[in-house]
Order: sequence, then structure tokens, then C-alpha cells
Amino acid sequence: MEDLRLVNVTKKFDNFIAVDSIDLEIKQGEFFSFLGPSGCGKTTLLRMIAGFEIPTEGNIFIGDTDISKLPPYKRPVNTIFQNYSLFPHISIYDNIAFGLKVKKVHKSEIKDRVQQMLKLVKMEAHKSKFPNQLSGGQKQRIAIARALINEPKVLLLDEPLAALDLKLRQHMLIELMNIHDAVGITFLYVTHDQSEALNIADRLAIMNKGSFAQVGMPDDVYERPETIFAAYFIGDTNLIEGRVVEIHDEFATVVCHTDSEHEIEIDTTYHRQPVLDEVITLSLRPEKIAISRRPPKRKDDFNILQGVIEDILYGGTHTQYIVKVGAHFLRVFQQHKKVYIDELSLDWEEHVYLYWHDTDTHIIFETDKNKVNSENIMKTIRRK
Amino acid sequence: MERYTNNEITKIEKDNKSSLILTTPFLIWITFFFLIPYLIVIFYSVLTPGVYDIKFIFSLESWKAAFSSSYLDSITHSLVMSLLTTIITILIGFPVAYVIANSSKRKQNLFIVLIIIPFWTNFIIRIFSWKIFLSAQGLLNNALIYFGLIDEPLMLLRTNGAVLLVMVYVYLPYMILPIYSVLEKFNYSLLEASMDLGANEIRSFFKITLPLSMEGIFAGSILVFIPALGTYIIPQLVGHQSSAFIGQLITFKVKSIPRNWPLASALSFILLLLVAVILFTGYNYYKQGLRRK
Ligand SMILES: Nc1ncnc2c1ncn2[C@@H]1O[C@H](COP(=O)(O)OP(=O)(O)OP(=O)(O)O)[C@@H](O)[C@H]1O
Ligand SMILES: [Mg+2]
Repeated sequence: MEDLRLVNVTKKFDNFIAVDSIDLEIKQGEFFSFLGPSGCGKTTLLRMIAGFEIPTEGNIFIGDTDISKLPPYKRPVNTIFQNYSLFPHISIYDNIAFGLKVKKVHKSEIKDRVQQMLKLVKMEAHKSKFPNQLSGGQKQRIAIARALINEPKVLLLDEPLAALDLKLRQHMLIELMNIHDAVGITFLYVTHDQSEALNIADRLAIMNKGSFAQVGMPDDVYERPETIFAAYFIGDTNLIEGRVVEIHDEFATVVCHTDSEHEIEIDTTYHRQPVLDEVITLSLRPEKIAISRRPPKRKDDFNILQGVIEDILYGGTHTQYIVKVGAHFLRVFQQHKKVYIDELSLDWEEHVYLYWHDTDTHIIFETDKNKVNSENIMKTIRRK
Repeated sequence: MERYTNNEITKIEKDNKSSLILTTPFLIWITFFFLIPYLIVIFYSVLTPGVYDIKFIFSLESWKAAFSSSYLDSITHSLVMSLLTTIITILIGFPVAYVIANSSKRKQNLFIVLIIIPFWTNFIIRIFSWKIFLSAQGLLNNALIYFGLIDEPLMLLRTNGAVLLVMVYVYLPYMILPIYSVLEKFNYSLLEASMDLGANEIRSFFKITLPLSMEGIFAGSILVFIPALGTYIIPQLVGHQSSAFIGQLITFKVKSIPRNWPLASALSFILLLLVAVILFTGYNYYKQGLRRK
């Protein structure tokens, strides 16, 4: 197998650690995505795999070959650069043929393979144009063709869609997935757009300050974040700190409080059993919470809280409510579906019930030391 | 509809008017300082020389003389020497410009200042210093003798080599600066892309860096070749009598008695035509390259 393996890969710039002892194994043919905020080391990691940076420590393997010290032109890896980096002085045809010409492939074979690539990226009509005569999306396709024609073992893509508009980005995303399925090459895809990563990747890694906050399949990472950072970086979430007071076979009860007066109790299922009296953080996605003037008819396995609406933000696909429950502020998303909602729209300062299923609460065995959650919610509330 | 077209027309008229106003100073300048002088040159070239001045009698003698072998040899010599100067300045100038463009911003400024500083010294004084440096009793010969490398002074001055050396020295900055300005803007991620696609450093240089610096090399070549072709003072001071540049011969024809203004004019005009043809061909070639970009 030609799996890609990173072993303890570290990159330091002077004393600054850009990538911090990363271990990772990526299967051949996998579509793997790196997701993280700006400056977390995604590009640096990719550049080390491409050969533009040499790791300060650690090794990179493809199959059993250690490639970490090879120059870029000796690695079976190709890159799609964020700014495309097409060669401006040669035609589209010559751009795509570049890699094969360097390898002295026979002319007629080059012609066939370029034609094949042009077809794959649907750019047959443009082969004699020059790069400055193409739109951003077209340049992107040529960059993909120029890389794939070399039949690399791994294709590296550094925010390839960042410069495109939303609709084109969605379209190209689907096309990238189709191309991936057609060629069966390992794709490493860097982005800081979370929905892109969730949509496209077989697995993804969330990076923070040079190391991984979590590695897993998209739904795993979204539904079962292991760290506060992962929970907070992908999607929106409510993070509530609490103490485990009861542990049952299927669920645990957590008491969340700021003071004795504002105590609330939340039941949660768990994947790893917590310890009694352990202080943990509950992650509760806003779209999992139902909001209503009336309590739910069904009560078993539900958490039901009462609160007051502090703010309402209309958001197209959903409306966001900020609801004050005890001393906590919870974010709630409600979709606009008449079949779900049989009551008049909710208003500021109304008393409401919030309820959700126990299984939608998730335990993170970490506490939010920086209080990102509460501070961020406070910022989103408008002052009246 | 009518109004619209009227508007269009007045707009175009306005544009024409303003462009005329803007180009007038240049047109006046070019008429008085280029066109009229050259008309005088052409006019003089078909007159008869007097001992001190010119006789207003029509004659094609000077044109016949201009195409005689001694003048053609001199023109060829000038062409070869300026071509060699251009090639050598490219070979030295490109690596220098490359190193400057790839150093830190602060060093870049320092290098540029170092290149410009010699311009603060008078051109003729700089050539004279070369003359002294290269002469039989000069610093170079003395040093070589002192270190026992030679026994008696070499004949360095009054050779084509000396002319070439000083021309390269004088014109090198005109090659470095335009190449530097192109390389400074060069997108180095293209080199990464090229290496990523399997080309090593050397191939990437010839396939990417060099073609994309052609603009600077071309501009530098014009800035070096054309003044080098007409140069007078450098071969006059460090060159040998027997291999004169065309510029020297022209000067000689106006300075020495009997004067020959018509022949000097004819030769000047030939030089102008030569430069024009070279510029025009070069420009066309360059434009073809530009269309691709
Ligand atoms: N050549 C370098 N010299 C010094 N520091 C560097 C260098 N390259 C990157 N860094 C630093 O390393 C850190 C990670 O940079 P990197 O480009 O990998 O971030 P990124 O995750 O790709 O961010 P973005 O999403 O903004 O592209 C940054 O803090 C950056 O300043
Ligand atoms: Mg980046």
C-alpha cells in the first residue's frame, strides 16, 4: 500500500513552532481534509509534504519510502496552489504538458494524456489559450489537470477554492469529489471553511496552534467533539460546564451552576463513562434544541428547561434565539417550517420551554478555561 | 437616440482635443530637437564639403564615400563590439540582478545605491581612471610585476579588450536595473510549481525564470546596445587608432581640417537608420512575446 504516514513531524521557524509533533496515517485514495483557523500551520504542514519545507524533526513516508528529505521534484506528490500558479508565458496545453515534458515522455503520448486531462476537467475548448485569458474557476481546473497528469500518489490542495464565489465554490467542490472518485488518488485538502471540509472529506483533522485538536470522520467530529476547540471551531455550540452528580447505565446527570440559586440539571448519554463528581463540559448544538411556549407532550429522555428570550436574529434558513436559562445563555436555532411550528412567532422577553433529547448532549472531558463560549454569546446579544 | 449619438460625438471630439493638448509639448520637442536637426543632417549629406565649412552645391559623393569599405569596416566593428558588450553585460548583469532581487529588502536598497553611486562621478573622469589603472605604469601592471606574475608591463591600454572592459563597466548598471525590476516582481511560487511538477532547479530556471525575465533583458539590451553602438569617448580614450568606432570617425570628420560635414552627416544618418531598424525589429519581436502574456 502507498499510505501517507507522518511520524512526529515538527517544523520550527526560529523559535516559533508552526507544526508541533504531528502523527498521522492517511490511507491510499482517501480524501483527507485539514481544517483550522488562520495561522494554525496547515500550509506549513502541506509544504513539508510537498517538499518546499524540510521538517525540523520527524519523518514523512509514502508506503515504506521516507520522502522527508527529498527535493520537491523527486516526490510522487503534486500541489494545487491557492493562487493557481499557472505559467503565464505558455499555453494551457503546455501548462498541462509541463510535467510530462520534463519527464521526456513521448510526444504522441503527451498529446493523448493532455487531451484526457482536458476532458476530465471539461476544458477541451480552451487548450490554446493563455492563463490570463481564463476565469478563476477555469484556472483552477487547469491547475488540477496540470497536477493530476503526473499521476501523483498524493495530491495536495491548499485552499483551492478560496478565491472563487460561493456558487462556483459549491460547484467545484462537487467536481473535485467526482475527480477524486475517478482517479482514486489520495487528496489532502486544506481549508478554513468548515462546511467545505464536512462536505468533501472522508476524514478530517482539526488543527489548532500546530497540533491536531481532533482527527475523525466529519459526523464524528461534529457530533462527538473531543476537545472544546473542536466543538467550538466546527459549527455553533453551547458549552456548559458542570459536575457529574449521578451515573446510570445509559446516561449521567450533570449539575450546571453559577451559584446555588441558578442551578440546572441536564441528563446526557455518554460514550466514555465519566467519574462521579468530575467537572466536565457539555456541548449542545443549537439546532438540536426545540423552543416553544408550551412544554413537550412527551417527557421521557428529554431535558426540559425554562428560560426567557434575550435576543432574536433572523438567519434565512433558521432563526437564532438567545435564551437566558438561570445564569446561562443558550443559543437555539429554529428552522422555519410550518409543519413543526404551530404557534405564533416568539417575541423578545417571552418565557419559553427549551427541550432536547438526552442523546443530543455530549460530554467533553475538558473545561473551557478561556471562557470562549460565554464571552462569545455575550458578544452576540444586542444591548437594548 | 439622436441626443445620445450627439453626446457620443462631442465626447470623442473632447477626447481628441484633450489628447492633442497633452501631446503638443512632446510634438514640439520632437520637431525642434529631433526632426529638424535630422532634416539638416540629411540636407548637409548631399552637399559638397569645403575646407572649413560647406558649399551649397548638390553632390552624392559623401554617400558614395560612406559606403566604402573603410567606413563599413568601422560600422561592423562598432556593431560587433556593442553586441559583445550587450552579451557580457547580460551574462554579468543577470546573476547580479538575481542576487539583489533575492536578498532582503534592506540589502536590496543598499545594492541599488551601490550601483548608482558611480553615476555621481563624472563619466569622463571614470574612464580616465581606467586609463590610468590600465596604463603601462598603472596600478594593475605594477601590481602584477610586484607579485612576480610578469616581468615587464603588459600592453593593456589601446586594445579592443580595454574598450570592451570599460564599455561593460560603464553600461552594466543599465542592464542590471531593468532586469532587477522584473525579477523583483517575479512570482517565485511559479518556481515552486515548476519544481513540484518535476523540474529541478536548473530546468526550472531555463523554463520559467529566464523566459519571464525576457522583458528586463530586452529593455536592458536596448539601453546598453544603442549607446554602445554610437560611443565615442571610450574607444577614443582607451582604444587603438586602427580600430575606430563609427562615432569616432564622425567626430573626426567634423573636427579635423579639411572638414567634411557632408560625409559626417551621411555617416550619422546611416547610424540612425541602423539603430531604427534594430529597435523596430526588436520591438516587433518583443510585442509578439507580449501578446502571449
Ligand atoms: N517561512 C516562515 N518563516 C517564519 N514563520 C512562518 C513561515 N511560514 C509560516 N510561518 C508561521 O507559521 C505559522 C503557520 O503558518 P501557515 O502558513 O502554515 O498557516 P495556515 O494554517 O496555512 O494559515 P492560513 O489559513 O492563514 O493560510 C504562522 O504563524 C506563520 O506566521
Ligand atoms: Mg495557508
